[in-house]
Amino acid sequence: MLNNYNGLAQPFWQNGPAPGQFYHFTGGQQQIQNLPRELTTAGPYGTQRNTARITTGSSVLGIRFDGGVMIAADTMVSYGSLSRYQSIDRVFKINEKILLGGGDDFADIQSIKRTIDQKMIADQCRADEIEMKPTELAMWLTRVLYNRRTRMNPLFIDVVVGGVNAEGKPFLGNVDLRGRFYEDFVVATGFARHLAIPLVRESKPAGREFTAEEASNLIRKCMEVLYYRDTRNTSKYTVGVCTPSGSVVEGPYKVDENWSFASTIKGY
Amino acid sequence: MSTIGTGYDLSASQFSPDGRVFQIDYASKAVEKSGTVIGLRGKDCVILAVEKIISSKLHEEDAAGRIFTIEKNIGMAIAGLVADGNYVADIARQEAANFRQQFEHAIPLKHLCERVAGYIHAYTLYSAVRPFGLSVIFASWDEVEGPQLYKIEPSGSSFGYYACASGKAKQQAKTEMEKLKPNMETEELVKSAGEIIYKVHDDLKDKDFRFEMGLVGRDTNGLHRINPAEYTEIARNAGDAARKDDDSDNETH
Amino acid sequence: MFRNQYDSDVTVWSPQGRLHQVEYAMEAVKLGTTTVGLKNRSIAVLVALSKPTSEVSVSQRKVIPIDDHLGISIAGITADARVLSRYLRSECLNYKHTYESTYPVSRLITNLGNKMQTTTQRYDRRPYGVGLLVAGYDEKGPHIYQVMPSANFYDCKAYSIGSRSQSARTYLESNLASFADSSNDEIIAHGIVAIKRSLPTDENQGKENAAQYDITVAIVGKGQPFKILSKEEMKKYEELASKKILPAPSPADDDDQPRPSGSGEQPDEGPRDPQVAVATEERR
Repeated sequence: MLNNYNGLAQPFWQNGPAPGQFYHFTGGQQQIQNLPRELTTAGPYGTQRNTARITTGSSVLGIRFDGGVMIAADTMVSYGSLSRYQSIDRVFKINEKILLGGGDDFADIQSIKRTIDQKMIADQCRADEIEMKPTELAMWLTRVLYNRRTRMNPLFIDVVVGGVNAEGKPFLGNVDLRGRFYEDFVVATGFARHLAIPLVRESKPAGREFTAEEASNLIRKCMEVLYYRDTRNTSKYTVGVCTPSGSVVEGPYKVDENWSFASTIKGY
Repeated sequence: MSTIGTGYDLSASQFSPDGRVFQIDYASKAVEKSGTVIGLRGKDCVILAVEKIISSKLHEEDAAGRIFTIEKNIGMAIAGLVADGNYVADIARQEAANFRQQFEHAIPLKHLCERVAGYIHAYTLYSAVRPFGLSVIFASWDEVEGPQLYKIEPSGSSFGYYACASGKAKQQAKTEMEKLKPNMETEELVKSAGEIIYKVHDDLKDKDFRFEMGLVGRDTNGLHRINPAEYTEIARNAGDAARKDDDSDNETH
Repeated sequence: MFRNQYDSDVTVWSPQGRLHQVEYAMEAVKLGTTTVGLKNRSIAVLVALSKPTSEVSVSQRKVIPIDDHLGISIAGITADARVLSRYLRSECLNYKHTYESTYPVSRLITNLGNKMQTTTQRYDRRPYGVGLLVAGYDEKGPHIYQVMPSANFYDCKAYSIGSRSQSARTYLESNLASFADSSNDEIIAHGIVAIKRSLPTDENQGKENAAQYDITVAIVGKGQPFKILSKEEMKKYEELASKKILPAPSPADDDDQPRPSGSGEQPDEGPRDPQVAVATEERR
């Protein structure tokens, strides 16, 4: 893997030692350091793979407003239907221009996040003040995810990517495990796709973007609805805000819960 | 290293009868021709500083820099062939990335230095390649290990230092460094670095140079920064002042 | 057979710490016709001079488009330049496919430099015998890069490489201060004037036989994809340039003649390299 990084550290001669293979370089044995075959190619016909997610996050909700984007997710990561991990941040600051909210299999989210973080370090190392933009990250993710799915080995993730592009233009999009991508003023994963998107859409003022305050109120309202309705949700959530002046993840906030109506519900 | 091994000096894979590998010595000569580079370790910071000799007015000020960032908290400076330096910087970044991938932690400088030194050493073993014409200085700071400074020679050997120098005025810079007191604060250290580079610069041999620096420490939030405006200013002013002092000294003698 | 025993391979250091094969490759750049690169605040310009090799041929292409935001002009071995331009094109294309954005110029050139470095360190390779001027535009504005066979590269305000390029560089240096604030028309005209300075004296400054030289101009900048100017577009700039032309520089400007090397840097003891008539950027 290391030496295939950019093809620079070729062996000294054909089948010869390559510098960088630090612990074996005098022996001359050639190790082709590729990913194991089962990770990169589909198995022979009939081979089955485990296609289930294990530990999952549910909803992520992103809303674009006139000066940036907001992305919110509750802090629950479930193990099946078990509320396994109850205070895990699923909204990440990638750099000053990008936020990422991760839904679906959390191990896969962590894995892709590691790769992204390394890209950010590579950016910093160049010391040229060029930072990755949210569109670039979203496009890169579609390429990775689509590639994985064509190999019949998808990463089970559903992510919301948001931030501001070069001219300070807000960007909000969703990439899923098939490598699908779309952009909108509201995007969501998990149950929020069914419960939150309609709520946000119906309050969209015609002919203009949301203001930051409207977006913030909508997030609060949607997270409340999600908590009441989605059994894979918890009452705590974090919110990432990205504007041209930078990105920050705030919270956790708590849903203002009120169960006094519970006794009126009958018939279960 | 003024000896020459006639006939035994054409390959890195060949010893001379008196036990030298002359190709390595010759590669060191390329380092000795380069602008001076120094590394200084302070109390809670490390500084790298170079005398970048300017070969053309038509180049941008920051062209062909000799200081690199390898990891968030690791800086690297080189003396020798800049092209080799760029290449080794890339290798070092790959090593740092590889370590981070495995351990989710920035690579300790000791390990990075070991790996890069191993890489550079590999180029001294075969006739099919030439040794790097490069002396590499690594600097890092973190909360646990504190300030660290290492240098690798073209031979692939490496050592840790309190202060070190490479390039044209290595000897002169070492003499200056021996006068410094240990455990300096950031600002003092930055000043000393400026003074040393400006003092050892030889106006007669190279007219134009640019002082460049890399700084990592508590005051930079543990991030390696190249030419941070506020500190570079301090260093350059201190250097200018030191050089004027030097000149007036010479006149009185 | 050889000028000295240390110049047969790139894998051999001379006792003075020089790489003669790399230095010789640098000479190849001076065999090529001149090319000039310069920029103002919004565009980068490449100007290249070419001459047909015979009366029945057209001249070699000196300017190679790489991507919408980037192009190169070359001096040296054209075939080597094509290898490098193929690399640059595929890198830009891969980047565009992956990120749907353009490759930052500085990073592309750093990677190119690292690719070229490997050829200066391995027995089975030789350095690329070509120098490039890269004109590009990205979020940091317009850029001119100079890339040499030694695998060194420099971010430039303006530069010129190729035969007799010193005269062009002298012109660029003396007008450097005005470039940043020049208009697009002016900066192109400056480029044409600079390159005419590099014509042999008898063919200098638009006399009759200067017509056998072709001047190619390419620009790239904000809202301006990399473009090689057509003959019609060139007319306007040629006229502008002819107004700018000043008296010809004295022949003393021309330092590209081979000259004995190492005159100022002999070690005081030990044997030394035979005198080699080459010069590199590194030596001083």
